[in-house]
Amino acid sequence: MIGEETVEGIPAAFEELRVRGAQAIEAGRLEEAERYFEEAFVWAEQHGESNLLDLALCNRAAAAIDLGRGERELPRLREILMRGADPVNCRIAAYNIARYYELNKSFKKALFYGQIARDRSEHLGRRDWLASSHNLIGNLLLAESFFEKACAEFEQALALSPEDAVVRRALIKDNLGYCYTVQGRYEEGFRLLFESYRSLRRLGAIRYSVLPRVALCFAYLEVGRPARALRCGREALDTIETTGGSEMMKNLLYLLGEAANLNGDLELARNYFSRLQREFYPDAGYLPDFLLAIDVRKLINLKA
Amino acid sequence: MAIHQKVRQIQLVGRKIRELRKEHKLTQVELSQRLGIQQSDLSRMEQGEYRVSLDTLFRILAEFQMSIGEFFDELAQESITPRDVRLVQQFNALPNDAQREVEDFIAFKRSMHRKDDRADSDADSEEESK
Repeated sequence: MIGEETVEGIPAAFEELRVRGAQAIEAGRLEEAERYFEEAFVWAEQHGESNLLDLALCNRAAAAIDLGRGERELPRLREILMRGADPVNCRIAAYNIARYYELNKSFKKALFYGQIARDRSEHLGRRDWLASSHNLIGNLLLAESFFEKACAEFEQALALSPEDAVVRRALIKDNLGYCYTVQGRYEEGFRLLFESYRSLRRLGAIRYSVLPRVALCFAYLEVGRPARALRCGREALDTIETTGGSEMMKNLLYLLGEAANLNGDLELARNYFSRLQREFYPDAGYLPDFLLAIDVRKLINLKA
Repeated sequence: MAIHQKVRQIQLVGRKIRELRKEHKLTQVELSQRLGIQQSDLSRMEQGEYRVSLDTLFRILAEFQMSIGEFFDELAQESITPRDVRLVQQFNALPNDAQREVEDFIAFKRSMHRKDDRADSDADSEEESK
């Protein structure tokens, strides 16, 4: 969803709101983005521009979906896609529907819409949209454990993504870095994850900077450096406790427990696993003992 | 359950899920429906090709909760290699003071390992802040 970009040939007042919304999204300020897109929606409604109304709706939906409020937007997005009146709106609608399904973990459905978004982007000749579509498809393939195919998509996304889209590129690098790490390509994985983390930290994109931090925690575990993984994970935990993000928190508490366990600190490991169980799986009292006993790293996909 | 010892037999988990499913007389279709995942995904998981989220993994465990004890015990048994057995036998054959020396040496090696890790961490910190 990051950087659902500007469209040429539309009124300046409307476009300004959209650009501000896009910038807010880029910086991870989703609520603020939603407000700008809502204003753009109202503007389009007042001016009776149906295409712009669809466009504003698509943009507002993008922010709402990432904020976990996408359910109500879905029927309108489908309608825009089915109507097929405007190729740009169709592309954005398909992309957003794919994002909605991705966040709801319906990866196969998401892949279907993601491929529509990719084909539309190609047809429109929009290199940046093609890049974000490849990234999205890469995410979906990664979630489905098709690691090699996912790498190919991320590599294409990175090649097509504009150099100045720093946050977007950093997020692609995070995905690709994780993918390489899972495949045992540690050197490339670490390089990309560090690059991603440094870029996001420099830009102050705190919410996003946790992603490569968590992936680095996993990568250090994979190369047998649990003490380093612990440090990395604790830093990420401090950030998540401020910014929120329950999925990441789950993964992180698990990784921290595993890191402490591999580092020989069973008490600390139990603390992390117990917290994971208490906060996310209250009915599964056996979990701390299970995780202390069984290493499930090779079964777990942090991006699924 | 002897669960405080680390059991590091990763690939066994997928195989164990398959065994448990069969013991419960469930087809892949039936189990995947209960878990809310696709049959093809469950099949790939049992073969060790499919990684899942923590949520899905714990749903699978919850499905077989009655068998968790057995799950641990078998994995614990399978995790002990002939080399482990030989080392324990050799250790037990030593006099008490020699056993203490071995324990001290292991503690020393572990502390050296941690120091190495800390030194690496410092190098990484420099790498990160570039």
